[in-house]
Amino acid sequence: MSERLSAGADNRVVSRGYVGRWRDIDEAPDLPDAAAFLVADNTEAIRAVWQHVLHADRRETLVAARSRIGAEQEQGFREFGLAVVRPPDVQPALLDRPAEPGRIWLLTSGSTGRPKQVAHTLDSLTTVGTDQPPRTWLCPYATGAYAWWQVVTLSIQVPGQDVVFVEPDEIDAWPALAEQHGVTAASGTPTFWRQAIFRAVDTLSRVPLRQVTLGGEPVDQAILDRLHEVYPDARISWIYASSEAGAAIAVHDGQAGFPTAWLDRETPGRPRLSVQDGELVIASAKAAEGMDAQIHTGDRAEIVGDRVLITGRIASDEINVGGSKASASGVRAVLLAHPAVAWAAVKGRRAPLVGNVVTAQVVLSGDATEADLLAWCNARLPDYSVPRRLRVLPEIPIKESLKSDV
Amino acid sequence: MTTLPRDQVRSMMGEVLAAQGKELPAEDGALLETIGFRSLDFSELALRVEDELDEELNFDAPGLRSIETVGDVLTFIDQLQQA
Repeated sequence: MSERLSAGADNRVVSRGYVGRWRDIDEAPDLPDAAAFLVADNTEAIRAVWQHVLHADRRETLVAARSRIGAEQEQGFREFGLAVVRPPDVQPALLDRPAEPGRIWLLTSGSTGRPKQVAHTLDSLTTVGTDQPPRTWLCPYATGAYAWWQVVTLSIQVPGQDVVFVEPDEIDAWPALAEQHGVTAASGTPTFWRQAIFRAVDTLSRVPLRQVTLGGEPVDQAILDRLHEVYPDARISWIYASSEAGAAIAVHDGQAGFPTAWLDRETPGRPRLSVQDGELVIASAKAAEGMDAQIHTGDRAEIVGDRVLITGRIASDEINVGGSKASASGVRAVLLAHPAVAWAAVKGRRAPLVGNVVTAQVVLSGDATEADLLAWCNARLPDYSVPRRLRVLPEIPIKESLKSDV
Repeated sequence: MTTLPRDQVRSMMGEVLAAQGKELPAEDGALLETIGFRSLDFSELALRVEDELDEELNFDAPGLRSIETVGDVLTFIDQLQQA
């Protein structure tokens, strides 16, 4: 075994198939240096990651949940020069080339265009380098996603940062898992947190979280306030990060968005943030390799008072209702502000005469009728933005990405 | 495909108007402009019909025509269902 162990080698790792320190994870048998690990669960994933850490001087690695990879994409990996490893099976690469030492490939869902592989290293994925209070982190993110790597690299690189992985089929039961393993910090999407509060607020309040982190989707004030009610003593952080732009914004004051004072500011080591035509634009040293100096994120940024709010995707936000432009994120924000609404999704739906109408799905945490919600919207939105079809769902739909595509 | 009878569509039209605090008159000849039934209301009605049928209507097929009265709406929805 290599002696170049990382600073977090003694941190504890808990997955469904492994409980122990990073340093005690079994080394895999000899594998090709350049490999895409298509893993069945987090236990296989952490073995692949640790293999990379031990031999970063020669390894090139991609880790992805095998459920997310189709046959065509798998073939693409092999033609790109990566062996495909479905532990313990190995399919050799179809292109013979030397591995790029230290390279880690992430698969992006395509926030800046077509889905593609983006190039990182352990260093570019590590966004917290300073001393941290000892924490046990929950990692519920999809295996191999950028947010998953952020938690993983934090645990590998920073002493005292243990990690507990949650499999997709354990998501509903994570508060019990967290309680069992002494989790004190958790990072999830706003949808993840909404669902947790909706389903198990009593169990949730028994998990003594000191750090609550949200990212991956627009974060509104209502979910921040609700989390503060559940965890009044915890630090509540919002992180804006993507595979392409890296971790660019971290806000810890419990307020939605980030201060306008951060715009167009040059601070050594920090990304430069700007708003161009209503879009968040980032220039960052932590971006993936090969990105433009300025990354157009595709996310809508609105300046409200002294805050910049990230409200949703530009491409999918606008609903053309008979020539009037309704904002899906704006309607969603109004619905979420209703005290009885736990979750909301807003979309356009094709309709005669006006082209599209606004429709909504909601999950309620209190008493409200459809008529109540429509009256609420009527009082706050222009006529064309008021949802014309509104469906109440029994529970919050959630995907493996922990997002709701809202 | 199954189609909704005109009476049922008329009653759904009444529900759309009721949600706006308005009433649907009994006469098919009543002008939409007079009763305040707008394009958005018509669209909502079409979607209600879709949801009831659990099937998408082909909005392109019937083509646009002049819709001025309650009866025009009911006829148009009928055409949408037949398309």
